[in-house]
Amino acid sequence: MEATLGAQPPQQRTWLRAPKFLLAIPSFVWYVFLFVVPVGLVIVNSFGRKISGSPGTVDLSSPSLDRYREVVSGSFRSLLKQTMYTSILGTVLCLVVSLPVAYLLAFKVGPKAKTAVLALLMVPFFANFLLRTLAWRIVLQPRGFVSNFLQSGHWFTFGQALRSGPIEILDTRTAVQIAIVYNYLPLMIFPLWVALDRVELHLREASKDLGANRIRTFLQVTLPLAGPGIVAGLILVFVPLSGDYVTAALLGGAKGNMIGAEVANQYFKAQDAASGSAIAVSLIISILLVLGVLATCFWFMSKLLKANRAVKVVAR
Amino acid sequence: MNHSDDTSRILISKQAAQRVAATINRRRFLALTGGAAAVAALAACGGSSSSKSKNLNMFTWAEYDDPDLLKSWGNISLTIFNSNEEAIQKLVQGGGSSGFDMVVPTGVYIPQLAKAGMLEELDKTKLPNFSNLDPNYANQAWDPDNKYSVCKNWGTTGWIYDKSVVTTEIKTWADFIKVAQTEASGKTSVLDTAPNLAGIYFWANGISWITEKQEDLDACAKFMVDEFAQHIKAFDSYPGVNLTSGSYALSQVWNGDARQGLIGVKEAGDDIERYVWGIGSPETELWMDNWCVLKGAKNRDSAYDFINFILDPANSVTDLNFHGYNTGIKGVDALAADIDFKDMVFFTDEQVAMMKSGDVNSAQETLVKIYSDVKAKAGG
Repeated sequence: MEATLGAQPPQQRTWLRAPKFLLAIPSFVWYVFLFVVPVGLVIVNSFGRKISGSPGTVDLSSPSLDRYREVVSGSFRSLLKQTMYTSILGTVLCLVVSLPVAYLLAFKVGPKAKTAVLALLMVPFFANFLLRTLAWRIVLQPRGFVSNFLQSGHWFTFGQALRSGPIEILDTRTAVQIAIVYNYLPLMIFPLWVALDRVELHLREASKDLGANRIRTFLQVTLPLAGPGIVAGLILVFVPLSGDYVTAALLGGAKGNMIGAEVANQYFKAQDAASGSAIAVSLIISILLVLGVLATCFWFMSKLLKANRAVKVVAR
Repeated sequence: MNHSDDTSRILISKQAAQRVAATINRRRFLALTGGAAAVAALAACGGSSSSKSKNLNMFTWAEYDDPDLLKSWGNISLTIFNSNEEAIQKLVQGGGSSGFDMVVPTGVYIPQLAKAGMLEELDKTKLPNFSNLDPNYANQAWDPDNKYSVCKNWGTTGWIYDKSVVTTEIKTWADFIKVAQTEASGKTSVLDTAPNLAGIYFWANGISWITEKQEDLDACAKFMVDEFAQHIKAFDSYPGVNLTSGSYALSQVWNGDARQGLIGVKEAGDDIERYVWGIGSPETELWMDNWCVLKGAKNRDSAYDFINFILDPANSVTDLNFHGYNTGIKGVDALAADIDFKDMVFFTDEQVAMMKSGDVNSAQETLVKIYSDVKAKAGG
């Protein structure tokens, strides 16, 4: 029995040698129907025109670029610019805050403390996103405890400056900026940490042995090796952030509005799927443009780093 | 189960509790979570409920009914919408009742829903309590003979301001605009709906707010975008509940929400004299929200049963005390004689004469355009 079985497997498995793409079908179907088709419909709708009186329908009989003209010429352009500004600044702030945290987490914190720090980063995520954002309303409100404390003069130097009146941060772009950094921070810290964690100690020691100081080691060994992680973090934060409007809706008031809210507004209030789609596509294009600029920057930076290298690294 | 209370509890000082309650207010939360099925907690957990089989799926506004009252009727699952347009859009896209039995639209949107074939024609013989409704609030222009709807409650629009910031007395919408541009600049909130935003301009300038004249609409667009948008702090349909947080110095507000805000201030032990409520003048809004049954409703009989239940004066007054809007039931003002801020719920004949019903007409798209532009300008 055993001997026959032992000889059998290669033949028995032949039925499994179906074309490899069969296994990819579920994800392919998923991808097509839940991503390609809806996005395609949005793009198609953006060339149409709203039909008056029937909510949400689009007239595609005479496709035109009129909706895009409205986006570019109207007040949406400044809103789109503001959104991009908020997103880029938010992403940069996330990077600036995350880099030291991820660095400490990867290299300086012991295994036990590491678990504790990771838990501290994760636990807030167990609370609902809306609740966490709403909590900022309590913190930032003009008659909230932070404002009262700052005005009470316990902080002598800093407090004096703010004593003139309650803090007026709520319902401004500043409030949105603060909450955005808070909400998206873990999305930046984790990829950075994973990337830095993979940088082997030997390589950094080798760098030191070859005479590089700490800063040089960081800039020329650690950072380039962590590059893919940084890029992943930037994309992970920037893309959803640009489309985010919940944070803006909760904390931004009139001044901190983001373009995502205008997409929802066009669909639900104006019942104009054509304009909504055009704004959504404009947002996607803007995101791609920024990512393109980012990619170019990285390409230049890696060239620059390579050009400045004292030691040529040659792949074996 | 002897413990049927689903509420979460937190240990916190009384004063702080009121602040928290005012801020993380359920209405704001529900309004933002939108379509999420909201009130699972309403599902009766045994006990006194004798009507376990009564189920109803309602599509309505946030925090618009007394949860205890709903519970005493049966199992009602609430789904929240933020605007009439959104409700219509979702129902039409769903291509049917979308699983809901009832919807609560504002009167002027009923023709649109009826035309789309979404609403059930009401069989009045199933609503014996319909006779309790004051004839003044039946048979409205947008739904003659209450073919599709029954008045839930009606209300109006005015303002509320903080006297410690705004020293000028606001008597008219023109005053409202002036104060918003000066003392309360950057501290003013307006209602988050297109007709109400444009209404500020129309009411202040003696123009009917259902105007379809292009020159009126152009003038409104120009003024609101160029001279008003930059002074707006927030588009907030429920500023009343934010009163205690000190977010706004001046707010355009619906009367029921303003009343809820003042009750909050009173309960927090803050100075009630600081806030001044005023009803819009020389003209202002009159709106009416209505109970409607959706065509194809699975629980149609329950829907009738519920409407009949809520038209009972005793139930109506309970609901009124919760949301602060006149339910239009005969004699409800006598039943509600000792409620707080009664003058914000019931109005004098002169005040009612100032209120004008809106309309969904050819200007609607322009109004939404103005609203979008003002929003973009305020944020840009």
